[in-house]
Amino acid sequence: MTINVSNYMMQTVKSSVQIALSFTLLLVTNFGLHAEELSLDNSNTTNVTNNEVTKTVRDIIDQANLASYYAGNDGSAEARIIIVDENGNRQMRQFTILRKDVQDLGDQNMLVFFSQPSNVKDTVFRVEKQLKGDDNRWLFLPALDLVKRISAGDKRTSFVGSHFYYEDVSGRNPKEDNFTLVSEDKTNYTITAKPKDQNSVEFSSYTVKINKQNFLPTETIYFDQSNQAIRQMTVLQVQDIDGIPTVMKSRITNLSNNSYTEMQFRNVKYNLGLPDNIFSERSMRTPPKAWLE
Amino acid sequence: MNYQRLLNFAIEKPKVIYSLILLITLLSVAMLPKIAIDTDPENMLSQDAPARVFHNQIKTEFLMRDMIVVGLVSKNSIFTPEILNIVEQLTNDILQLDGVIAEDLLSLNVVDNISQLTNEQGVNQGVLFEYLMKQAPTSAKASQEIQQAVKRLPMLNNTLVSGDDKAVSIYVPIIAKDQSYIIAEQIRALAANITAIEQENLAFHITGLPVAEDQFGYEMFVQMGVAAPLAGVAIFLLLWFFFRNIALIIAPMVVAMATVLIIMGSLIGLGFTVHIMSSMIAIFLMPIAVVDSVHILSEFADRFKAGDDASKTIKKVMGHLYKPMLFTSITSAVGFYSLMLTPIPPVKVFGAFIGSGILLAFVLTITYIPAYIARMKPETLAKLQRAVALMEQKGRLANSLEKLGAFSVKRTKLILITFIALFAVSLVGVNRIIINDNPVNWFKADHEIRIADKALNKHFAGTYNAWLVFSNNNPQQQKALDSFSKILNTAYDGETKIAIAETYNQWLKIDSNEKSSFFTQDLLIQLDDFRFSANELEQPWLEQLYNVSEQANNAQKIFTDPEMLNWLAKLQTAVVNKGDVGKINSLTDIISTVNRELNSGDDKDFAIPNTSNGVAQTLLQFQSSHRPQDLWHFVSPDYQRTLLWLQMTSGDNQHMANVVSWIDNYINENPPPIDVQHQWAGKSYLNVVWQDAMVSGMIDSLLSSFVIVFIMMMLLFRSIKYGILAMLPLTFTITMIYGLVGWFGKAYDMPIAVLSALTLGLSIDFAIHFIQRVRELEVEHQSLSKALKAMFQEPSRAITRNAIVIAIGFTPLLLSPLMPYITVGFFLASIMILSALVTLVLLPAILTILARDRKTKNTKKLA
Repeated sequence: MTINVSNYMMQTVKSSVQIALSFTLLLVTNFGLHAEELSLDNSNTTNVTNNEVTKTVRDIIDQANLASYYAGNDGSAEARIIIVDENGNRQMRQFTILRKDVQDLGDQNMLVFFSQPSNVKDTVFRVEKQLKGDDNRWLFLPALDLVKRISAGDKRTSFVGSHFYYEDVSGRNPKEDNFTLVSEDKTNYTITAKPKDQNSVEFSSYTVKINKQNFLPTETIYFDQSNQAIRQMTVLQVQDIDGIPTVMKSRITNLSNNSYTEMQFRNVKYNLGLPDNIFSERSMRTPPKAWLE
Repeated sequence: MNYQRLLNFAIEKPKVIYSLILLITLLSVAMLPKIAIDTDPENMLSQDAPARVFHNQIKTEFLMRDMIVVGLVSKNSIFTPEILNIVEQLTNDILQLDGVIAEDLLSLNVVDNISQLTNEQGVNQGVLFEYLMKQAPTSAKASQEIQQAVKRLPMLNNTLVSGDDKAVSIYVPIIAKDQSYIIAEQIRALAANITAIEQENLAFHITGLPVAEDQFGYEMFVQMGVAAPLAGVAIFLLLWFFFRNIALIIAPMVVAMATVLIIMGSLIGLGFTVHIMSSMIAIFLMPIAVVDSVHILSEFADRFKAGDDASKTIKKVMGHLYKPMLFTSITSAVGFYSLMLTPIPPVKVFGAFIGSGILLAFVLTITYIPAYIARMKPETLAKLQRAVALMEQKGRLANSLEKLGAFSVKRTKLILITFIALFAVSLVGVNRIIINDNPVNWFKADHEIRIADKALNKHFAGTYNAWLVFSNNNPQQQKALDSFSKILNTAYDGETKIAIAETYNQWLKIDSNEKSSFFTQDLLIQLDDFRFSANELEQPWLEQLYNVSEQANNAQKIFTDPEMLNWLAKLQTAVVNKGDVGKINSLTDIISTVNRELNSGDDKDFAIPNTSNGVAQTLLQFQSSHRPQDLWHFVSPDYQRTLLWLQMTSGDNQHMANVVSWIDNYINENPPPIDVQHQWAGKSYLNVVWQDAMVSGMIDSLLSSFVIVFIMMMLLFRSIKYGILAMLPLTFTITMIYGLVGWFGKAYDMPIAVLSALTLGLSIDFAIHFIQRVRELEVEHQSLSKALKAMFQEPSRAITRNAIVIAIGFTPLLLSPLMPYITVGFFLASIMILSALVTLVLLPAILTILARDRKTKNTKKLA
């Protein structure tokens, strides 16, 4: 289905960041590239606009990281995921995400408020994404009246039963992989990544296509030890929101049985001016209604 | 008589007969390479049998896989770094195999743990989700931590690690059960490569019904290649012993070979799979096919004198034997054809093709054998005669038969009383018969599959699976439907309304039997989509529609209802406490485990949350694991169906049947809080279903063939008396054989069930030949006692010889590594000997008594 985004376009927010940093919220790419070492200087901007300059693979990855995870100072979006199992059964979940960067390209705070199905309504996830060390994660379950801190052995667990992993949502640290630029054509860079610690992940490598215009990864394929493709992320729709190319629809497919999850966004807003204090335990029990529409 | 013309033709134009047989045989042989083996016990039920349809529906819906169970058994705890390392290595190797469904594989290093996170001071830091054993531990302490964790995870405890900690298993799901033998072999090879297994003194085992079945198929193939030729050799040797004339006995061998090849070729050519039953066809047909020839050869050797015209003699012999041979062939065929009345496809095929094989053998015998004998050289014929005479002279067989004959006529009362007593005892035995089967028991006790089965089921909760499925077949939705249509009717007209109304009307048209919930996730997604394309005016009622639908959808999720779940948990406990079932894995365990860890982590919190929403939220957490898909093995995505996975330590159908009836009772006495239907699936259950069908089917088949044969006997002998007499030996034989089965406690399983029809078909032969000859001899000698005396010369020798040929012909089955073949071989041999004996003892005794009565009556009348 197509979303007529213009209907939901929020009032224009002046963005001070003019470089093509797009905000895909937590989403989509498998590149949660914490590009802390990147400098946001003008040379980068030049490189983005003048593709004739051949980039090093590190530059591309850093650029993609920027495009994928750090757009605006903050943002909100309504998300809908549709999980389709190998029998074709569909399940829908809906939630709203609030995000605020503590520091551009640094730590981030996030809140995820579930609205559908109604039996999990008001379930809240809170994340303090930390570049140095494990993320802090909390969970509020209204029916059990329970706030609980969550700890996970790794970031490759399912995001609420979908084909998206927690890491797909929060971002994979580029320091965990070694990258090779395999090829480039008019529109895309193709890069292969190999994890430095094979034991920390379920794949042995992945190949990602990065769009030369907006630096959004458009397709990522994961391979297992015997070089079989096992998992695929595809961007299905990109929309310009306030001049920021934003992934509005993407899909992750389990290639062994063709089950998949589609994630769609609506009502994407950037630079709302979210106050810091809403990213607290209080907001989990009492959602900040003003910022949730 | 038509046969006379056929016989003349065969003798005059033998080459036509020869070429015809050769041509048909070659055509059939050309079909043999198309052979397809089928060992799936599921095929004991027809494709559309309701139990099987449901089983497969559940398998697809819940993504239940066929599982190979790999086990490692240690003398001590398996929680050591060395052994856990082996588990990790073996698991990773198995995950690389083609045909293995990696994401559903269960092993310590791919499953998740959920536990409490505490800091060094022991203060609770929250809940921890992680792999149970991402890498094998290097220290004893870390190994023990894994041990502690497993004990707290009911889904794994006693499934992946045995209760005594001495065995560890890997559940390997495979994409198709017909690959299980290949995959099992690959896993065996992988294990053989891990030298540590031997160093650690671990016993390595593979079990699981798919492996047993597929392995059986493999061995069946080998078996067919060995036992059938062996049966051929045994019969050949026996014939040589009887007739001492290679040239002569080639004829019956040709008949046997041609029959077997044509029947097997046409079975395969017609597209039937070779099932465990049909794999026995060759071995059955071989001895049966030579029986008529033995009669012909015996009598020919008796009648033929040096210098006679062989053609003339054979014509006489054939004229004499044609009728009894025709009748014995038809009755035997009827016995086998009656198997087609059973509702079990492989048994039907077996019956049909053996029945036809018998008729084919008859046709071949009455054309080919005379043609062949008529063309034999005089020297060969003379040799044959000498050999027969020699055998007859010194024949121990001849002597014993004469004695037996004398005994039968003298001791009539003793014989009668003995038989009546035996019959009564046998009837008691028949009542003691236990109906049971277990595909694993198809292997001998020392087979590696049986050993693995025993070892793993000793340690674990059980490797045999049955699935108990509860369904909400009657979703409550009328109120919601009313609101839905009301809102829709008042809605603003437009494209959106038309589209939604279309969906609604489509659903209304569905036949009420197939109707399920209207308020599905698909409807919600559709409505949600509309909300984003609809205009402002449409928004309010669209939202109303969505809310009504969402609430209705939510209300139908009965397996998030705490009351329902607590009822299921109670049922589980009751079933396990009762015995027979080692363990039940279910949705309630998942919910209670996650709920415990979300709360205090203490046992008191191992419980179902108080509200449906609480259950749903707990499950949302479970799904935030490495294996969210595990949930859908236990509940359907719409939460209207749940599956309980019962692990049982035995594959005995009897145990399964007990569990089924016990649970039916329990549910009657403790009805569930919400009206749900319960149904069974799983391999262990299917075995029960086809076995029930087989038992009742066999009774039908036996009774109907009994009646048909009885009518045929009365027609053949044109006498009710002789009709009844002819049925007596087989009635005694069948009752005695089944009496023995009952007394010895041998379970009534598939091979035993099939025997009844075979017994009927084969043992009637002896009675027919006996009565036919006695009546002829009585007319000839004008005296029953003289006739009986004569009977115990050549005719009884032919009967005995035939019994021996068939009995010995079946003995190669005893060498089989597979139990069903051994059973069939043993019982058939016994049946042949027994029914020949019964015929030779009981019939003369009764005939004598009847004659005496008649005499007495006659004398009285005279007086």
